[in-house]
Amino acid sequence: MSQNKIGVDQWVEQYDQRVNKAKGLQGFIARTSQRLPPWGWLIVLVAVGALLPVITQNNFAIRIAGNIALMGTLALGLNVVVGYAGLLDLGFVAFYGIGAYTYAYLSSDFSGVHLPTWVSLPIIIVISALFGLVLGSPSLRLLGDYLAIVTLGFGQIFVQLMTSLTRVSLPGHERPVDLTGGPNGIINLDKLSLFGFTARTVTDHYLILLVVLAVALLVIYHLNRSRIGRAWRALREDELAAEAMGMPTRRLKLQAFAIGAAVAGFSGALFAGWQGSVFPANFDTTLLISVYAIIVLGGLGSLPGVVVGSIVMVAAPDILRDVTLAGTLFYVGVLVTLIGAIRPRWQTALLIGLVVVFGVIVRLIVGALDAQALAEPQLSNSLITNTVRSWLIIPVNATIIGNYAFGLLILMVLGVSRIKHSVWRLAALVPTLYVLIFVWETRLSQEPSVTRLLFVGVLLIVLMIYRPNGLLGQKRVEIV
Amino acid sequence: MSNNGTKTTLLRLEDINTYYGPIHILQGVSLEVFAGELVCLLGGNASGKSTTLKTILGIVKPASGRVVFNGEAIQNQPTGYRVERGMAVVPENRRIFGSMSVLENLEMGAFLRHDRDGIKADFERILGLFPRLKERLHQLGGTLSGGEQQMLAMGRALMSRPKLLLMDEPSMGLAPKLVEQNFELIQQVNQQGTTVFMVEQNANMALSIAHRGYVVQTGRIVLADEAKNLLDNEQLRKAYLGR
Repeated sequence: MSQNKIGVDQWVEQYDQRVNKAKGLQGFIARTSQRLPPWGWLIVLVAVGALLPVITQNNFAIRIAGNIALMGTLALGLNVVVGYAGLLDLGFVAFYGIGAYTYAYLSSDFSGVHLPTWVSLPIIIVISALFGLVLGSPSLRLLGDYLAIVTLGFGQIFVQLMTSLTRVSLPGHERPVDLTGGPNGIINLDKLSLFGFTARTVTDHYLILLVVLAVALLVIYHLNRSRIGRAWRALREDELAAEAMGMPTRRLKLQAFAIGAAVAGFSGALFAGWQGSVFPANFDTTLLISVYAIIVLGGLGSLPGVVVGSIVMVAAPDILRDVTLAGTLFYVGVLVTLIGAIRPRWQTALLIGLVVVFGVIVRLIVGALDAQALAEPQLSNSLITNTVRSWLIIPVNATIIGNYAFGLLILMVLGVSRIKHSVWRLAALVPTLYVLIFVWETRLSQEPSVTRLLFVGVLLIVLMIYRPNGLLGQKRVEIV
Repeated sequence: MSNNGTKTTLLRLEDINTYYGPIHILQGVSLEVFAGELVCLLGGNASGKSTTLKTILGIVKPASGRVVFNGEAIQNQPTGYRVERGMAVVPENRRIFGSMSVLENLEMGAFLRHDRDGIKADFERILGLFPRLKERLHQLGGTLSGGEQQMLAMGRALMSRPKLLLMDEPSMGLAPKLVEQNFELIQQVNQQGTTVFMVEQNANMALSIAHRGYVVQTGRIVLADEAKNLLDNEQLRKAYLGR
């Protein structure tokens, strides 16, 4: 090995060599990512994003892409609070709601005010940031779990207030006043209008959201590299040490809260303008979980991670809505898992063959015992599904048997995981896989709305097992 | 140092009383550190050593008494104010920022400073003092060895160009050889003009480099003398030196 560079140890120095040695797609990605500076990635993101409406006129696809950009922007705000400053804020979605409702007040018939969006946005940002300070100040004394509970309460209070402030007695009004529209929300909001341009189509909104995401990425990237960004990270690492360095920990926390809230409020306003209405149910815990899933999946504190996380979290449930596609993904997923988990590889092929043989035998036995029990396979337009159904039995009362099989499957999976001996394990995998496919065909593929959530759940679990720091997360270093 | 006639007081604690809830931790602690000195505060477990340090730094507020630093009563000022006025601490167990690079850790030490040129000069000076840190500038703090982390913690504290460097148990968790090396570094820093106030259990080692020492026991100062006298002190020998 050549002489060490000053300030670089062996492992770091050999990084280039390792990257250059890496072959195939992995090597290509590693080399490109190294050459491309962060702003290069941003340009790639915007360019690819801007091409989408050119490639497809499919409003469904563009709507999903718009959702990705919107959720990405929202998650960027949370990333500041949780990822950088390390404050577990579970009331974050309330700021999104505050932004959305403020937009509704400033641009609808509900209040009679009709401000153009470029006028109302700064107001919304300031108001959300102020609310961030309001929530932040009592939270300063709280740490970790306690902070989480208090902020969770704040989020719930917001939804409750928006639902129930429908008959409020105000001085100067004889009758009770409806402040929020209750569960029915506020509808017929003005369209987003920026400097004379009014967003009408899905594509218009998508392009606005894409630009907003890019700007937010740029701003937060620089914020992170600034003095305050480093101070946040120090605060997250060790609050006491940060305080001993003379850092104004209270002010830093408040700043994180306020900036996070401002970003959330901003994205909330865009959401309201796009949807054209706001309802309390838009800001419930489900959204909170999704946003957290995005930043945890992408890796806390990582900006590319937020983008990748929101692509996965937003696109996955929507793509899985399509049964054929979900089926393909399911079988490909099972296949990839098997190839990855079983060595040597020929055993995978053997296993698949055995499962088919097993299926045919079961079919013959059941057919001989009671020919009435078998339903005619319904042909679908998926090749894989048709192939599978040619040897799988689909019973007449598939729903009930499928439910039992689901319970059985869980037991079998647990059982297989306990078997150490490789031959027995392979043998036990045959019926397990059969039941898995049976459950998929009889139950899961019939109910895509449930299945896609299951899918996302499994995806999250698997990802978290193999990449505990998220897809692009930095490895946290524990000091012992 | 001790035979210098014109000593100026850098830090003075006057009759400090500190409580944790109902528990009376510091019971009338008074001590004095002169500019340029290396003073150590000795004491066993739960004697009030760390609380004294936290009181000086403002992490714990005393119920009564005065903390005078550089001629100014600062007992009601927040930690940031004190750091700005020239205090810095090397915390117990070092407490460096593990997921931040060595460079960033050092930058954090100069958080309250704005004189770019001065920071740069101090940065070079500290890298000269700890060449190992220079080799590992872009490595994450948490991946350093224990001895290197101690260097980093000291370097980080020195980045604020302190008048008074506070050290909380610098020997804790280090191999005996590293402890020795570490104390040499502390002495070196002191000889370059930084006043050092050190809290330590390792009385022998601490007194071998210190000018003066205080001994604290259940929240009271029970002994105060020149370091060499303390080393000969029969009482102290029995209590802490084990011989």
